[in-house]
Amino acid sequence: MTTLFGFYVLVWPALTLGVLILICRAVLRDRRDAKRDNRELV
Amino acid sequence: MNNASLYQFSTLTVILLMLAFYGGTYLLTLGIRKKKEDADAFMVSNHRVGFGIGAASMTATWIWAASFYAAASSGYTYGVSGPIHYGLWGALMILFIYPFGRRFRKLAPNAHTLGELIHARHGSSSQLILAISNVLGSIISLMVNFTAAGALVSVLSPLSFQAGVIIAGVGVLLYTLWSGFRASVMTDFAQLVALMAIAVVIIPAVFFAMGGPTELVAGLDNLTPEQANFFSVDAILNQGAPFFVAVLAYAIGNQTISQRLFAVNEDHIKPTFLTATVGYGAIVIGLGMIGLMALTLGIEPMNGDMNNLIPQMVSGYLPPLFIALFFILVIGSLSSTADSDLSALSAIMMADVYGKNIARGKADPQRMLLVGRLTMITATAIGIVFASFSLDILVMLVFVGALWGAIVFPVIASCFWDRITNAAFTTSVVVAMVMFCLARFEWLPLAGATGLLFEVLASIGGGIIIGLMVFGFLGCTAGFIAGLLALVAMLVFATGFLRDYTVLLASLTAYGTSTLVCVVMSLASRQERFDFDTIGERVGNYHDVTPADDRKSTKPKTETGGLATGTLAGQR
Repeated sequence: MTTLFGFYVLVWPALTLGVLILICRAVLRDRRDAKRDNRELV
Repeated sequence: MNNASLYQFSTLTVILLMLAFYGGTYLLTLGIRKKKEDADAFMVSNHRVGFGIGAASMTATWIWAASFYAAASSGYTYGVSGPIHYGLWGALMILFIYPFGRRFRKLAPNAHTLGELIHARHGSSSQLILAISNVLGSIISLMVNFTAAGALVSVLSPLSFQAGVIIAGVGVLLYTLWSGFRASVMTDFAQLVALMAIAVVIIPAVFFAMGGPTELVAGLDNLTPEQANFFSVDAILNQGAPFFVAVLAYAIGNQTISQRLFAVNEDHIKPTFLTATVGYGAIVIGLGMIGLMALTLGIEPMNGDMNNLIPQMVSGYLPPLFIALFFILVIGSLSSTADSDLSALSAIMMADVYGKNIARGKADPQRMLLVGRLTMITATAIGIVFASFSLDILVMLVFVGALWGAIVFPVIASCFWDRITNAAFTTSVVVAMVMFCLARFEWLPLAGATGLLFEVLASIGGGIIIGLMVFGFLGCTAGFIAGLLALVAMLVFATGFLRDYTVLLASLTAYGTSTLVCVVMSLASRQERFDFDTIGERVGNYHDVTPADDRKSTKPKTETGGLATGTLAGQR
């Protein structure tokens, strides 16, 4: 029960961290592509 | 802990924190500033915003200050399942719109607002109904966000509520005014990174500071059986169901979402919206867990105000550095939504009001920019005034919610079914609003045959919501079957019961009535079937674009309100 509730609370910040890493990597890729194509990021 | 007061920053500290936040954000926008912004970029960037920036912007926009407070309140009120019933349905609002968004984008790749698409499909009256609902929604959102800033500043420092409202309003306007949507998406990324990083640290920090899983499980004895039940009917009916009903309405009625649908690279719409769904859900449900923690510890919200729950927990268990991080978290979330609202409002006034109804196809891009910036200034002033005087917006909120519900079917059907007419669109929304008022304010006694009539209309509304959701992902046949099954289920289980829940009954009635009137009038019409290919021809950019001189020309369009000969879509 303790493990289950610990997981239930902590899974959300873990997911948030995953999405944060995904977004940061994607933005770096977007930035590289924009530079290569000689256009602006936004 | 129950008697403890919140940690207080000094006036100087709060001013420095806000200066650092808004100053940093402003400096960030200097990097993307152009001497001459063009109208299209001001509204939707270059229609090629990448997956990373797009997902960050969508997530940051959808998370507003109320998301944290309401999720925590839900966790505190409904217990174990509470945060899920707030965060999950909010996240699904992002998810369920993307299949329709792809259709909107396919029909009008160069649109700036959903209203432009509807204008090309039907004409001014339908477009203006959509535009008005969007404007009211964004004004309410602005006001709520500025109010949250004022409340936060006043509870954590000696500064007044009004001072917080004004600093937030001016700060957001400062960095959005020049570059519009481009500034909004760029700063959304930075704000989201800060917001997520802080959430990742704060949630476990509070959790372990209060005693961790052992303490949480021990505190479950403080919960009622309903609060301890993950499948609590109470939570579903009072928190989950009203949100579920609003899933499509919020997404369709919100220009901040359509603006991003038209701005993101067309190939990236699906991953962008899927990532935003997960990101939003994770942050909001996670922070909602702090409400659950407070409940298990038996903490009472200070002054009976649920909005104090998170500040109380952070204040009570963590050192001042974390309280400063929490402060930035809330300011970041409300600012990212407020700048998106300003961008949305300016795009509506530029494209829907000026471009389509005042200039009537002869829009001057420079004048459009002026309209956009004046809109931002006016909207900020309205937001600050409404927030400062704590004006009661409940009636406005009720009407906007109903209007959004009433336009869902006509808007979606107009993009898929060639028989929907302008008269059917407009009439259905007006009739739906009248029926909504009759039910919501009980102007007619909801008993006997009248009660039954409204329950039948509400059942149709329920069927339509389920039908449209399934249709978006699985197509027409599956949507029709799901809608029909939901209708039958509603007729069986809701008859004689739903009339006791007037808010839900009225909302569903708005959906059902608009659908019924729209379908009947369209089927009865002898109007020629609509050719969807003409939408793309009627909705275009306002500036010339040439590969050699990317969006620097300011030559106004002279005929259709802007079909650019060398549009970015053409280059793709």
